[in-house]
Amino acid sequence: MEQAQSLWQFMRQESAKLLQQTFEHIGLTFISLLIAILIGLPLGIYITRHKKAAGSVLGLAGVLQTIPSIALLGFMIPLLGIGPLPAITALFLYALLPIIRNTYTGINGVDPLVKEAAVAMGMTRWQLLFRVELVLAFPVIMAGIRTATVINVGVGTLAAYIAAGGLGEFIFGGIALNNTNMILAGAIPAALLAILLDFLLSLVQKMGRRKRQATLWAMPIVLLVFSSFYVLPLGYSSRLLAGFTPEFMGRSDGDIGLRAVYGLKIRTVVISDAVMYKAAYEKKLDVISGYSTDGRLKTYDLLTLDDDRRIFPPYYAAPVIRKEVLERYKDLGPVLNKLAGRINDSVMTELNYKVEHLGQPPEKCARDFLVQQGLYRDPAPAAEGTIRLGSKIFPEQYILLHMYAMLIRGYMGLQVETKTGLGGTKICFTALLNNKIDMYPEYTGTALLAILQSPKEDVQRLGGHRDSVYQYVKRSFDEKYQLTWLDPIGFNNAYALMMRRSQAQQLGIHSISDLTTYLKKNKR
Amino acid sequence: MIEVKNITKTFDGATAVDHVSFTVQEGESFVLLGRSGCGKTTLLKMINRLIEPSSGEIRINGKLTQEGSPEVLRRSIGYVFQNTGLFPHYTIAENIAIVPRLLGWEKEKIRQRTISLMEKLHLPSTYLSSYPHQLSGGQQQRIGLARALAADPPILLMDEPFGALDPITRTSLQKDFKELDELKSKTIILVTHDVQEAFELADRICLMDKGKIVQAGKPEELLFHPADEYVKGFFDDQRFQLEVRMIGPDDYPALVKAFNHFKTRQS
Repeated sequence: MEQAQSLWQFMRQESAKLLQQTFEHIGLTFISLLIAILIGLPLGIYITRHKKAAGSVLGLAGVLQTIPSIALLGFMIPLLGIGPLPAITALFLYALLPIIRNTYTGINGVDPLVKEAAVAMGMTRWQLLFRVELVLAFPVIMAGIRTATVINVGVGTLAAYIAAGGLGEFIFGGIALNNTNMILAGAIPAALLAILLDFLLSLVQKMGRRKRQATLWAMPIVLLVFSSFYVLPLGYSSRLLAGFTPEFMGRSDGDIGLRAVYGLKIRTVVISDAVMYKAAYEKKLDVISGYSTDGRLKTYDLLTLDDDRRIFPPYYAAPVIRKEVLERYKDLGPVLNKLAGRINDSVMTELNYKVEHLGQPPEKCARDFLVQQGLYRDPAPAAEGTIRLGSKIFPEQYILLHMYAMLIRGYMGLQVETKTGLGGTKICFTALLNNKIDMYPEYTGTALLAILQSPKEDVQRLGGHRDSVYQYVKRSFDEKYQLTWLDPIGFNNAYALMMRRSQAQQLGIHSISDLTTYLKKNKR
Repeated sequence: MIEVKNITKTFDGATAVDHVSFTVQEGESFVLLGRSGCGKTTLLKMINRLIEPSSGEIRINGKLTQEGSPEVLRRSIGYVFQNTGLFPHYTIAENIAIVPRLLGWEKEKIRQRTISLMEKLHLPSTYLSSYPHQLSGGQQQRIGLARALAADPPILLMDEPFGALDPITRTSLQKDFKELDELKSKTIILVTHDVQEAFELADRICLMDKGKIVQAGKPEELLFHPADEYVKGFFDDQRFQLEVRMIGPDDYPALVKAFNHFKTRQS
């Protein structure tokens, strides 16, 4: 009950945004649906006349349907950039198959005798089509349009990944922030929208013939009206365009902090981190919110802007381990600490680059690094005992996990069980707490904000200093959970604003303050 | 007048209609009779160009049907299907009005024509706003006939129009059909495999086999002067009834002769 109440509060508080996102969502759905009908209906009719083409047309539309939606959006970026155009194109492609197929099936399903009678009465091809075939196939065609609409409402949530707005902004923001209310504020309206549109179209589908003809005329108008709901999601008008992840948009150490502390005013779109770096590289975006050790920094030659007012808290990585394991194996702490201070930001970026961009297996990458550092040892004679290691689901964690596994085997001869890909923070931490794993690498900022959910005063008092944050989480974890933070590995995988190196140099921008000043001077 | 000259139709190398020629006079009822697959329906459909002939020509009142648009041709020819072919999404009134509407008749004229046709075919006018599926098979077939007659075409093509009906419904519809004044002046080509029906309705019968005409002529010619064994054999099963029908009840000596002939054949 408390949950429902606070959801309602969230929705009321964010009602303006919610309304805008809903309208954007309806707009996106209907623009793509309109185009899909305009193209799919004639195409469906065409292939009933040219049966030889039917196989290839339906096959092609079917193949398009099977492309995972996020991948399709990814393909679109080099061609159409980011924003509404690729989103509408992708939605249109998904809506195409059900409309073509149902038009084809519907018209083919009309009793051939009735068609022959229509021809025998002296109807022309067009009269046959409009007075007999389309009217009799109407329920089947409408079923196709219904399917397409529901698909579009669903896939439309992904539009938020490529800066086209819609209810996905709340959904993905909520998932990233572990904010259930935010997820529901996006997901419930999206589900209701799908149900409502499906219901309204089912009424149209069941209409008698007389109303059908009126509907056929009214439908394009209704579609156009709904399509116009889509207003380009633009905030400020500025010379540069920023793309931030849904998570970054909702965090106090993200977009909110940028506005409050730096007074940064930049035209912003919401986008997925999966496509963000590439979009920056391709000059579709100028400023993005990335992670400072991401391998793609190197791949796309991006420059991290200096956070000169320290709004991004430090995210130093260190192994978190259960205290009783540490006590049982006295050597384990020192062995794991062999990595401490060895990997700085640029080294971690390099390692990530090798795995993400060059496609090296994380294991090889880890081994090469240990060999180069003179830390690698072949497995020692087997000893009694097993250490269970866990990791989150991204390359950096895989690499670290393999390094730790090699160290434990090499120096102690213990068995190692690795559980990679434990989803996000919540899953990893819960596994550790419930004695399902013994250790995983965690980040100080995540521990501070996401796990401990420390009060604002504490966070402000710590002021983003590396050591004070580390000491604070180490102490809190020890008291609250009987978990030990070993020494930091060295790198700080914090949030960062990034720009293309060439552009940043050309504009003389090195820090976030520089960026703010530049934008103020160069207003449109 | 309909003139069919040397018409051939082949489907993928198989000949359905093979060099057929005949002439149907104005106001004549001409029955194409034959077993299934003899090519009679294909022949019928070539007259209003539902099927285009492979070779040969068809003239209606001297004019080649191949010239001009097929739609205009079809609107001037009534067509009745075996399984009605009514539009399920049209009311009875709308079904009857299809061709007049295509021809651009005024609404009031269409309405009056529809009501008068319903009367002539003994259908209550309450059916006008019903849909075909609400009517019985016999009633639907009457609507099919009304639809074909709606624009008062001079020619009527009928493809087994009573074939799908039970015997009682068929007899009653055939009776009404024969009594329709409208039909007296029309040139009718009717396809059937039913010998009794052919003799009931035909001025002339054209017996077909394997895409060719075996014999064409008045019913009594086919019955009493068959051209070959096939024609003779075709009527044998029902010869007695047919002969009785031909002779009529007044010519007693002829009836006795026919009966004796029938008995000899039986024994």
